Amino acid sequence: MSTVDYTRELSVLEGKPPLRELDDLISKPLETKPNRKFFIALSITLSMTALLVIGLGLTFYYGIGMWGNNIPVGWAWDITNFVFWIGIGHAGTLISAILFLFRQKWRTGIARFAEGMTIFAVMTAGLFPLIHVGRPWLAGYLFPYPSQNSIWVNFTSPLLWDVFAVSTYLTVSLIFWYVGLIPDLATLREKTTNKIKKIIYSVTSLGWRFSNRHWQHYEMVYLILAGFATPLVLSVHTIVSFDFAVSVIPGWHSTIFPPYFVAGAVFSGFAMVQNVLIIVRKIFNYEHIITVDTLEKMNKVMLLTGSMVGYAYAMEFFIAWYGGVEAERFTFLNRALGPYAWAYWIMVTCNVVSPQLFWIKKIRRSIKTMFVIAIFVNIGMWFERFVIIVSSLSRDFLPSSWHHYTPTYVDGMILIGSFGFFFTWILLFAKALPVVSMAEVKAVVEGSQPSHKDH
Amino acid sequence: MNNKILYSYTGIFDSPDDITHAAKEAVKQGYTKFDVNTPYPLHGMNKAMNLSPSKLGYIALIFGLSAALGTLLSLWWVSAIDYPIVIGGKPLFSFPAYVPVMFEVTVLTASIATVLAMLFIFFKLPNNAHPLHGTDYMKKVSSDKYGISIQADDPKFNEEKIIEFLQSVNAKEINTLYWNNEEINHENKILDPKFLAFLILVAVVTSGVTYFSLNKLMFMVPFNWMDEQPKQSAQQKSIFFVDGFGMRQPVAGTIARGYIPYQFKGQPDLAGEKLVNPIPVSKESLQIGQTKYDTYCSPCHGYHAESDSRLHGQFPNPPSLHSDKVRNWNDGRIFAVITEGQNIMPSYSTQLTVDERWAVINYLRVLQRALNAKESDLK
Amino acid sequence: MSSSLVEFKKKELPKRVLNIGIALLIAGLIIVIAGYVTDPVRTAFNNILGLTFLISIGVGSLFFVAVEYLSGAVWSTPFRRVGEFLSSSIIYLPILIIPLLLNVDKVFHWTHPIPTDKLVQSKAPYLNVNFFIIRVLVFWLIWLAFYYFIINNSRRQDQTKDQYLTKKNIKLSAVFMPFFAITITFTAIDWLMSLEPHWFSTIFGVYYFSGTVLAALAAGTIIIVLLNERGYFVKGIRKDNYYSLGALLFAFTNFWAYIAFSQFLLIWYANLPEETYWFLARWNGGWKYVSVGLIFIRFVIPYVGLLSQPSKSNPKRLLLMSCVILFAHYYDLYWLAMPTLSKNETAFGWIELGFPILIAGLIILIFVNKIKKENLVPVGDPKLKRGIDFKL
Repeated sequence: MSTVDYTRELSVLEGKPPLRELDDLISKPLETKPNRKFFIALSITLSMTALLVIGLGLTFYYGIGMWGNNIPVGWAWDITNFVFWIGIGHAGTLISAILFLFRQKWRTGIARFAEGMTIFAVMTAGLFPLIHVGRPWLAGYLFPYPSQNSIWVNFTSPLLWDVFAVSTYLTVSLIFWYVGLIPDLATLREKTTNKIKKIIYSVTSLGWRFSNRHWQHYEMVYLILAGFATPLVLSVHTIVSFDFAVSVIPGWHSTIFPPYFVAGAVFSGFAMVQNVLIIVRKIFNYEHIITVDTLEKMNKVMLLTGSMVGYAYAMEFFIAWYGGVEAERFTFLNRALGPYAWAYWIMVTCNVVSPQLFWIKKIRRSIKTMFVIAIFVNIGMWFERFVIIVSSLSRDFLPSSWHHYTPTYVDGMILIGSFGFFFTWILLFAKALPVVSMAEVKAVVEGSQPSHKDH
Repeated sequence: MNNKILYSYTGIFDSPDDITHAAKEAVKQGYTKFDVNTPYPLHGMNKAMNLSPSKLGYIALIFGLSAALGTLLSLWWVSAIDYPIVIGGKPLFSFPAYVPVMFEVTVLTASIATVLAMLFIFFKLPNNAHPLHGTDYMKKVSSDKYGISIQADDPKFNEEKIIEFLQSVNAKEINTLYWNNEEINHENKILDPKFLAFLILVAVVTSGVTYFSLNKLMFMVPFNWMDEQPKQSAQQKSIFFVDGFGMRQPVAGTIARGYIPYQFKGQPDLAGEKLVNPIPVSKESLQIGQTKYDTYCSPCHGYHAESDSRLHGQFPNPPSLHSDKVRNWNDGRIFAVITEGQNIMPSYSTQLTVDERWAVINYLRVLQRALNAKESDLK
Repeated sequence: MSSSLVEFKKKELPKRVLNIGIALLIAGLIIVIAGYVTDPVRTAFNNILGLTFLISIGVGSLFFVAVEYLSGAVWSTPFRRVGEFLSSSIIYLPILIIPLLLNVDKVFHWTHPIPTDKLVQSKAPYLNVNFFIIRVLVFWLIWLAFYYFIINNSRRQDQTKDQYLTKKNIKLSAVFMPFFAITITFTAIDWLMSLEPHWFSTIFGVYYFSGTVLAALAAGTIIIVLLNERGYFVKGIRKDNYYSLGALLFAFTNFWAYIAFSQFLLIWYANLPEETYWFLARWNGGWKYVSVGLIFIRFVIPYVGLLSQPSKSNPKRLLLMSCVILFAHYYDLYWLAMPTLSKNETAFGWIELGFPILIAGLIILIFVNKIKKENLVPVGDPKLKRGIDFKL
């Protein structure tokens, strides 16, 4: 790869695999019985999920007091986890919608998987606002319906916007995902020899016939959905950032929060997608579908978004000084030098410094180093939310109410458990549905499109 | 030779260029009821098949716009009309704060509407009874081949010509597809006993679960609406204090804030002499007095203080308050009766605050004067 | 190999265009000089509008050239020279910078803060005349350097057809990005935000960036459509290339709305007096109508105009909407800067016309000159053939 020929379009896939071989390869995990490795992985994630169940059980039975939250740190790991997971989800929509609008063909190999991750990440994220209200079985009151109290929810509250944003996001992501799955399910329907599977695929594929009279509308709908999903994904993390930024807490009230949160979300999401994809392509032998070129492009996106996040950190610091508001100045100095300085510097190192290594091409293309850097990015992004939430709340306007926050074992169980919950879904997904879109990948194989030579 | 009904002639092709060419030729030949089946969308096929642009964009637009407007209207109605409440010093109708919710509802509605319209109206799915299903043709075009299918109900349908046409465009395999008779004659059996049993089962399970969760589950720990709380309630035995009482006596020599002791206990006449009504007669105080009188005094003394209440005759008759005795009493004397009670009448000091008692007295004076009006009152 | 297949014939702009350019330039200069003589403060404010506008077009175009290299986009390659020519206006920025530097104390009241104003005094380490001038000059030199290196490589490729130059430019473009982000942010803070030295908003740099991108894109689109419809580019350019331009204009219109709304909502919602006064000043008297107009001109009209798919590839619609968007950027700058000058009523008169006329003349002259001397199409670019054959 010494010189690139810019006169030719680079193929997304390595080589020129026959279409039927692609079908076989992609549907192979679905047709074979799960092996021992799968069960070992599943038992690990399920045990982690068990921790979540126990942690939640303790929380529900004894109350929120089981967590380390206090006054004034009323939001801590619960909301940190929420923002972290919802951010993970954003990469999926970015890959499937925004890159689709920008006609980036390299997205085809990774889009399905990333969309799946979006759904599972939003599901995981959705747990946290629910459990942090303390009595999640009363969450129905969050929805505006004419209730016996004859009073409505507060439509001007960002927390209510969250309810709308997250539920819309989950629904639209599911629709987007399912619409993409229909042709693949139809391919599987034709491929399978198992009777029960045939019925399942027939029902779920709705009787798709690969008709070009349908493909035409289908492509239009895909475009429309991408057009909706793109502002939607921006809006979701924007509204999450509003949860903080509409308040007047120093360190929270900053006008750059919306784009900064979105960039951070994409950043951490790409790191997570990249991490999981590296494992998936290894296990399922998808090296020529999810190529190193694709991973390199993901790393470039991480470099870009990581630098944006760094820009936002710097801007916040500068304006905190420039604005001249005492409380703001104190908050930012406190972040860098105060009791949570360790968390702040972990965040800066992982989020701003480590992705800068991606300027070097060798690192960008080395599976091992990029894997490690992406893990760092995820750690850093978790700490970013922790720093924003806890450092600002524990040192608010009134020094007499300052309070240090220390997490409890239940907090830890819920955090570990949320990873278990997420990865359990990922494992089940990888075994139950094609993790690469067959129809989309076939469409980008070299020579799979008409050459338009006959005029 | 067989009684199957012909659906279409199909041709299979190996390359995207061939199928595009075939589709163009089919249009040229004047076929309208034909379809091209490919494992993925082909660039330029819309043009080759001469399809008009998809109208689904309009559905998204219409549903999106109506959702945006509908949300805006309902938010306005909810927060400015139905339950106006000022939040955070913002106007009742705060448009900027409605933008997020409006946006989300718009996206949600438009996406769902577009997809549903595509699947169920444009494609008429789900449909697993189409003649193309379960054929070898379908198996091929779902994976790596490209197929064209010219239907028998095409106005230009002619078996020989179609075979000739398919050969002329170099179709690799030419086949016929038939309607599946079973599928055509299939009837839905809604009254099938198995189906009915299934419905009954669903109904029983749903109602059972609903009954259990609403009547039992919601009253178990921890779903019990905070019924059980580790705190001391009134009249409860305390295990914390040595004397076993949950409630504490005030510290000796102190009184509660705002509490003024009544100095004329057992001395109503002295109260009549010493106490002066501090509440001036005003519209507001009379209104308070009326409300309180109607609530606490009227059950016995009657709305007009004539002892004409609904208790009259069932009880030692309460006295009319228009007697000379009461009319000549000072305000302080009446105050003493309300505060301490008299004969069978209990004390009303817990129900009425000091100011409310005086207001009631003011109102009573109004009642008294109304029944014994002088000529000068009419002027 | 493939680039030699592209046939491009140089074609000069008609003499008429040159005359219009000269006339506009001279008219603009006369108005500006007359303005500086009669009302220097107001003219200096207008000078800020003109300067930030030209920076948007020049540096913004350079940004797009760099983005094309970085993203490997091919649809824009046949048009890339338009961006390169527009970015050469960076060279002429000093025409607008120097008169302002001479009048710094007239527009920025942080140059002579009131003794009791502790807040502005505390910002002195950043807001002082010397550092300000240094920043302005350093930023200009950075832009000039990147302009020179990137555009020179591109121009050399016309002769050498060396693919290595593309690779070199990709690297240069990557290095340009962080510099671009920093310079454009602090340009916005220095020239626009510090007009009200008490006010602050962390998103302000991004806000100016969103406008910059739109202005550069709109200016480019106007010229691309005008020249292409008259056959100045190579043959065979399809609607799909136009569509991409339209889609970008549409996307960044939404991006601007998103950034502007985020800034407004957060300040409106939190309701802190040190922040809201900036918006209240823009809701005062006649400014109210300017503010409402901004929403329409900058967002609603382009949004509706470019929403449908066919409109994005319709050259007439593109031309119209680009004109609206380009005007909207100047309007936006006016809305950002002028309420500081005239608090209660909108200021509009002949002085306001000077700088737009001057800039229009300058850009026309740049194009007349460049088209005469250089290739309007990057004939040596390896991506050119793919760009012409570009299909959605």
